[in-house]
Amino acid sequence: MTETPTLSVRNLRIEFPTRRGTLVAVDDVSFDIAPGEVLGIVGESGAGKSLTGTAIIGLLEPPGRIAGGEIRLNGQRIDNLSREAMRPIRGKRIGMVFQDPLTSLNPLYRIGDQIIETIRTHLPMSEREARARAIDLLTEVGIQGAERRIDSYPHEFSGGMRQRVVLALALCAEPDLIIADEPTTALDVSIQAQIIQLLKRLCRERGTAVMLITHDMGVIAETANRVAVMYAGRIAEIGPVREVIKSAHHPYTRGLMGSIPSLEGTGDRLTQIPGSMPRLTAIPKGCAFNPRCPHTFDRCRTERPDLMPVDHSLAACWLVAPQAAEAPQ
Amino acid sequence: MNGRPFVEVRNLSRVFDVSKPWLNRVIEHEERKLLRAVTDVSFDIGKRETVALVGESGSGKSTVAKMVVGLLEPTGGSVTIDGVDMWSLADAEKRQALRRRIQMIFQDPYASLNPRWRVGSIIADPIRAFGLAKDRAEIEHQVGELLRLVGLDPADAAKYPHEFSGGQRQRICIARALPPKPESLAADEPTSALDVSVRAQTLNLMRELRARLGLTYLFISHNLAVVRHMATRIGVMYLGRIVEISPSEELFRAPRHPYAKMLLDAVPDLAMTGRPRKMVEGEIPNPISPPPGCAFNPRCPAVLERCRREVPELSATATASSAHAIACHAVAEGRI
Repeated sequence: MTETPTLSVRNLRIEFPTRRGTLVAVDDVSFDIAPGEVLGIVGESGAGKSLTGTAIIGLLEPPGRIAGGEIRLNGQRIDNLSREAMRPIRGKRIGMVFQDPLTSLNPLYRIGDQIIETIRTHLPMSEREARARAIDLLTEVGIQGAERRIDSYPHEFSGGMRQRVVLALALCAEPDLIIADEPTTALDVSIQAQIIQLLKRLCRERGTAVMLITHDMGVIAETANRVAVMYAGRIAEIGPVREVIKSAHHPYTRGLMGSIPSLEGTGDRLTQIPGSMPRLTAIPKGCAFNPRCPHTFDRCRTERPDLMPVDHSLAACWLVAPQAAEAPQ
Repeated sequence: MNGRPFVEVRNLSRVFDVSKPWLNRVIEHEERKLLRAVTDVSFDIGKRETVALVGESGSGKSTVAKMVVGLLEPTGGSVTIDGVDMWSLADAEKRQALRRRIQMIFQDPYASLNPRWRVGSIIADPIRAFGLAKDRAEIEHQVGELLRLVGLDPADAAKYPHEFSGGQRQRICIARALPPKPESLAADEPTSALDVSVRAQTLNLMRELRARLGLTYLFISHNLAVVRHMATRIGVMYLGRIVEISPSEELFRAPRHPYAKMLLDAVPDLAMTGRPRKMVEGEIPNPISPPPGCAFNPRCPAVLERCRREVPELSATATASSAHAIACHAVAEGRI
């Protein structure tokens, strides 16, 4: 890519010092998101996907800390900024949408006041201008009668409507990047589809880059351009969404896809991945997936694979290594 | 189905009183507020059949499950299990005998296991409660067998729930439901708290148990793909009513009710066929003040005057098979 990516993460490492030693929750994670691109991050609980998101916006809870690597927003390094310096970036240049719309809105303030406050914090606008802009935004995210609804409290909205408000809040300072952490998980299917469409449309129109964190492959398939699959704190595979979903290279991704019951399915037994994700205290030596992998051979148990190019993707698996031909299947 | 179905649910209704206290109502001149969680729901579950109820939040599917297993008293209608009415039984002992034939698995395996009990005691509890073993050694033996049945190790009995992952905990919940040798399990969103790979393990286990123990399931879920994988018959619920009930295959091939169509259409497309999706407008209305007539009418693309006045009955007249029933005026009139 010749143009500067909106977000560039290089070799990110997040550690949690504990009494029993240091836990590495995210290890050597690198990816870029271009302007207007939607990068999906999938993985099961504990894969480190949300932590990566929190690290980018600088909201990592101590004792968790960034122990290595770089995060750049439009080329500017943001991982080493102080809390004070980070504050104007968060909200202004990076918007956030979290899973539960009720907890990301203050229940004691009218939604209008919350949006106006956010707009005025980041943009030089008068109260009146900010209010007009808030109404425009609410209309744009599909809230009918925004002039009236702007003076309602969060509890007066349904879950889907609240998530629209949160989306308006994330967009109000025209950010370059939106980090959406499970934005549709708490919503019903029909509402989920509405929110996905909305997120896609808004970001396409504004050229906003999106980092979409979710455990739901369906949501990724609908929304993302590229997808990174995380396992035990590392990226197992990253590539164009069609390739990863249709012809995954990493056995974990293949297992993940096979274990999703489909609407067209035959109703046969689902492929299952034996076992479960290792705990951070006991990440296996070599490839972290080796105890659950159907294709494990000696090298997987001793040596950790890095991401290696295969087709249009990168996969961290010895099976795709150039010398894999000699490996037993 | 041969002879009587195992579970017969007839005109089941449940109303919750959500009004403010009496004094507030008098002072503020407010009416009583009633929430009709379930209205007039009827269906059968044949032996060894898996009937699933799907719907979005607030559709009343969990309330139905609770009434079927006897955890919640219906305000109207009846649940008959193997010919015996569950709620008209005055005799508590007989009711207990009936209840042990149908057990329940809950959504959240983190909340439904007592964190201070060892897994062995958790599973042994129903064995003791129903008096299914003579002595300690026999209880221990049974617990071990059950753990093995759900794919855990008998030695796990000495551990506490926090030592297990979500999927393993759900296995423990399943093991706990099995001691009274139930013929039927009601599972309320058994996999929605689980990760994808673990979800597949749990669903596979439930299917194995069905084949092995000849279980009948009532399966509650909001996830259509999961339901398709498990169920032989599916009832789609909307705002407390069943709007369409049909054999699984048929529902997925040709849904008739506009809501069922919408629900199927809203499922994210993993196959990436790029099929155009109809956007679903609007949201589920408040069950305290549902719209008059068909509850789906404000969101329905085929709405007519009649839909706003008259509640459509669940009927099989407009369909080819008698097992497929739809509650929709537009379908009954042949408009869609």
